Amino acid sequence: MSWRDRVERLLARLVAASATERLAISLAALFSSILVGTLLVLVAGRMTACSSAAFVLTHPTPFGVPRLFAVGFCYDPIAVYDRLFLGALGDPFSAGWSPRNAQMAVTLRETTVLIFTGLSVAVAFRAGVFNIGTQGQLVVGGFATALTVLAAAPAVSGFVGTLTLIPLGLLAGAVGGGFYGAIPGALKAYADANEVITTIMLNFVATGVVGYLVLNQFKDPTSAATQTRALPSYADFPAVVFDPRSNFSLIALAFGISLIVAVYYLLAHTSFGYDLRTSGLQPEAAEYGGVDAARTVVASFALSGALGGLGGALYVLMILGNYQTGVPAYGFDGITVSILAGNNPVGVGFAALLFGVLKSGTTVVDFATDVPPQLVGVLRGLIILFVAMPEFFRLLGGRMDRVQRRARRLGSTAATDGGEQADDGGDRNE
Amino acid sequence: MSDARADGSPLADRFSKRTGITVAVGVLFVLLAGARLAFPDTIAGDLFAIVTDRTTLGAALRFAVPITLAALGGIFAEKSGVINIGLEGLLIISAFTAVYATDTIAGEGAATQAELWLGLLVGVVASTLLAGLFAVVCIEFRADQIIAGLAVWLIALGLAPFASQVVYDGPNTASVTTPATVTIPVLAEIPFFGALFDASPFVYLMFIAVGLSWYVLNRTAFGRHVRAAGENPKALDTAGVSVSRVRYAAVLLSGVLSGAGGGALALSIGQFTGNGATMVNGKGFIAIVTYLFGNYNPVGAFLSALLFAGLDALQFSLQTVGTGLPSSLVRVIPFVTVILVLALVGRTQIPEAAGDHYESGED
Repeated sequence: MSWRDRVERLLARLVAASATERLAISLAALFSSILVGTLLVLVAGRMTACSSAAFVLTHPTPFGVPRLFAVGFCYDPIAVYDRLFLGALGDPFSAGWSPRNAQMAVTLRETTVLIFTGLSVAVAFRAGVFNIGTQGQLVVGGFATALTVLAAAPAVSGFVGTLTLIPLGLLAGAVGGGFYGAIPGALKAYADANEVITTIMLNFVATGVVGYLVLNQFKDPTSAATQTRALPSYADFPAVVFDPRSNFSLIALAFGISLIVAVYYLLAHTSFGYDLRTSGLQPEAAEYGGVDAARTVVASFALSGALGGLGGALYVLMILGNYQTGVPAYGFDGITVSILAGNNPVGVGFAALLFGVLKSGTTVVDFATDVPPQLVGVLRGLIILFVAMPEFFRLLGGRMDRVQRRARRLGSTAATDGGEQADDGGDRNE
Repeated sequence: MSDARADGSPLADRFSKRTGITVAVGVLFVLLAGARLAFPDTIAGDLFAIVTDRTTLGAALRFAVPITLAALGGIFAEKSGVINIGLEGLLIISAFTAVYATDTIAGEGAATQAELWLGLLVGVVASTLLAGLFAVVCIEFRADQIIAGLAVWLIALGLAPFASQVVYDGPNTASVTTPATVTIPVLAEIPFFGALFDASPFVYLMFIAVGLSWYVLNRTAFGRHVRAAGENPKALDTAGVSVSRVRYAAVLLSGVLSGAGGGALALSIGQFTGNGATMVNGKGFIAIVTYLFGNYNPVGAFLSALLFAGLDALQFSLQTVGTGLPSSLVRVIPFVTVILVLALVGRTQIPEAAGDHYESGED
């Protein structure tokens, strides 16, 4: 059984699951991860030392009932999730809340980049290939953007500069990421190299080579950090509605949303999208129908890489204002975003918002509690794990269904017994 | 049936590719030797001196330990039909746990050698538990193996630095004792190959694991069952052996072996470092490539792991010699080699039923 056959079956199974069921599974996975995360916070809270407990697990003591147990924990899981979710939105239930607050801007800023990395992974998945290399494509794309804008900046200035440099920077990011993405695509199509491994290796290569280039060729001589010179201020995305200091532009978010629509349209309503999806689902049938399988693999990898590269371009243009080493793990979060969204472009938008909240909330958690911010990294893995096993939730759901049915039967009269038994039997045959 | 035949590329073709790479490495070696004689003061000349230096072999053996052990685990899992792409995560979790356990067991003073081995054992247990979770998710709940494997990696990538932050208030742990070198008299005196007999006990552990794995896989009933579970689960089921039990055993075994690898990696340095990709830094993924390149043969996997570890040892030596090659670029060499090897070897003879969930007829 080849990798391709496996992917084909996986996708067939994923598509077979109805949209509602997928949504239910994603929500259940999220809830389960939070539950496991809570346990983890409690266990960690017992492992570390603190002067006073942040959270005490005990029982109510009405009417002088003696206290049987009281366990103190150094970390308070409720506070963690409160900060993580409400903190990321700037405390919507507090007085004087405005949707334009600074933390909200951070959340939407992260969401914007995650839309691109999520779409990048989703496009590859739809084509039946795993692109774990979005991180590397983002790094290469962001670096290409920084170099191109730095080179072109002296030629233009002012409003004209903004109008030309931003599209140019985005184009450079897309081209850079696209080419870097095409490499594992070509290796898979023409040399049969397993793309999961090559893309992971190319992530290491991108970080290493770009790190070398920044340090030795393009380093800002006035700075101690490994970073390029700053891009001119007119190459920054203009701030709309939000504070310019928040490094968030609604225009960038709108661009992300328009790309969601574009990718949706491309997949659902164009012949290229049709070829891409059929070679993902039924490679043999696609080939029989005249689709060049090798070219489709390369093209979908290039498209996936270009989307990742655009994410890098936005990260450089909107957030950093130059290129620095130590890029956050947007690419890996993109995998989770896409898997959580069932590789559906529209779902990617919502999953990206959720992860934007998680990423932005991490800084709030770090500031407000002692809980290590790496918790969100664990949640990311847990969500993938739970989404990967829909069978677990189906089983759980089936069991609850049976319990409910039994309870109903116990309450009903003997006359309806036979009918319900038949119902049960039908269920078992599924 | 198998991909090789479906592709129209016969076994001999693939074999020649492997031979080709081996010959290429040999030719490169001879060229380097020539360069050493002709131009003793150039980079190529230096390179030959480094390659034939016994400290390079010693370092290569040390670096090969985690890769080889994880690869052996990967062979068992994949041969049984479960592709374990989460080896990297197993290495990460055991690397942290082994150091943490050693540090905890030792208490205030420095850990003794016995405490260090106990710490390694705890690391193995942690990795086996995570592998057990992976097995349940894949076998019981029919999760996609690739996605579940990625989840195992990402969970460990978050969990180990998280735990380190909780216990040590930073991504890096405290330092613990490192294992004492075991020197075999007389044999250790041999030039170059003496490095084989003057090494960390983990290196000997690796040799034993390679031999045992080969024996178990090829000469025992369990090995036959593992191979059957991956190639023809139906036949195994018909013969009355539970496919899922064999697969559970194989995946747990991959946890044990990777756990030994991760523990050995961290304990031989005496610290777990959890920044970025952690100290494991892709070794689990390199392990996958080594067993693909070694065609699922434990000895082959060891030899290709030694090749990758040798590249790593080489880049360390190159940095100390100072050849003018920037270290950040030299560090990329092993990763590029992985890509080249994969592209040259192409699709490997993956077990027929690998990646598939097996549904037993009865239930």
